[in-house]
Amino acid sequence: MKGAIRTSLLATAVLLTGGSALAAGDPADRPPTAQEWSALASLPDWSGVWTPDIEDQFAKAHTNAPAWTPKVDAEMKAMAADEKAGNPHGIFLNCLPEGMPSWMLVSHNALEFLFTPGRVTLLGESDGSRLRRIYTDGRTHSPDPDPSFHGESIGHWEGDTLVVDTIAVLPETYIATGEGLGVPNDGALHVVERIHLTAPDTLHDDLEITDPKVLAAPWRTTRIYYRHRGRKNEIVEGVCLQGSFNEAVDPQGHAMFAPVAQDNGNVVPSPK
Amino acid sequence: MMRTIPALAGSLTMALCMAAPAAQAHHSFAMFDQAQTTVFRGTIKDFQWSNPHAVIWVINEAKPGATPDVWTIELTSPGNLTRMGWTRHALAVGDKVNVEINPLRDGQHGGSLKKVTVLATGQVLTSSLIIPGKP
Repeated sequence: MKGAIRTSLLATAVLLTGGSALAAGDPADRPPTAQEWSALASLPDWSGVWTPDIEDQFAKAHTNAPAWTPKVDAEMKAMAADEKAGNPHGIFLNCLPEGMPSWMLVSHNALEFLFTPGRVTLLGESDGSRLRRIYTDGRTHSPDPDPSFHGESIGHWEGDTLVVDTIAVLPETYIATGEGLGVPNDGALHVVERIHLTAPDTLHDDLEITDPKVLAAPWRTTRIYYRHRGRKNEIVEGVCLQGSFNEAVDPQGHAMFAPVAQDNGNVVPSPK
Repeated sequence: MMRTIPALAGSLTMALCMAAPAAQAHHSFAMFDQAQTTVFRGTIKDFQWSNPHAVIWVINEAKPGATPDVWTIELTSPGNLTRMGWTRHALAVGDKVNVEINPLRDGQHGGSLKKVTVLATGQVLTSSLIIPGKP
């Protein structure tokens, strides 16, 4: 607690004194220039809609599993046994965002990239609030960022590769190898990604995930995405919580969402 | 048997989903037995085109003398289904169908859809977690 107060005071002091991270010239403080808008044209073409390679994800759960700490390894083995028995733990049942790094690793849904000056934005199809902002304007990490589901992502371009450094992810957010297999990151998560095309319509996100609270060693893995174009592939609204309701009619005859009892005994609670 | 089903479908349409097994949230599909396939004929009771998983409720044609059951059948998301050629109008209440599913492991009346055939038109629609498009 004392430590937290000290950190907070330090952050306040940085704010009041105009500390280095917020010094004059912070790229966040000025509008983009015409040159910066023009420079977007020289970035690689990541337009279209990207869907993940689910088969590869399933295969990697066996061929490239993370090196968990012994305690977590035992927990994961128990979860895997439960899943194999048909009782998955359903770690995303609550419909909160999968967050980082699980969105990039285990989502079955499509995503798209938006390039604007100083920023790459990722929009996903599931979760009403699934969105990542990766700042590429030259800033450094904030002195004391508020933890969030997707964390604070700072990126830069190395040729045609977007290199992204992510910290400040909520400790409750899962490191997952499947929708029923994962463990909360517990607050020590650091993710470095290298996102790049490997073929005209194939994108790789090479991730290095470090988390000494749950991982015995950094976990290096790759998620593969394939590009689609055309109207039928465009991203649609995807509100996860909609599945917790049925379409019904209220006593006045209006259309309504009626809450439904969740799942049918096939999902066991996550371990405490 | 065939006379019973339309009458039941009509009454159930009024009380939407009241008798159906519980619906769904953002879950793993491991609750479904991918190694097993169950095939049956029935009537569409309802088709919910919503995230995170679309759902079909099908009234299973019962054996003579038995009560028809309602099966809850889950699909992938509307976005992914659209990429596979579905629309929200792909199935209508009352359609006679043949369904092929991976059943729930615990024996309840549910599963994940592999294939549905609309008997009146012969139209075949498939659903999978694997999205087509790998180069």
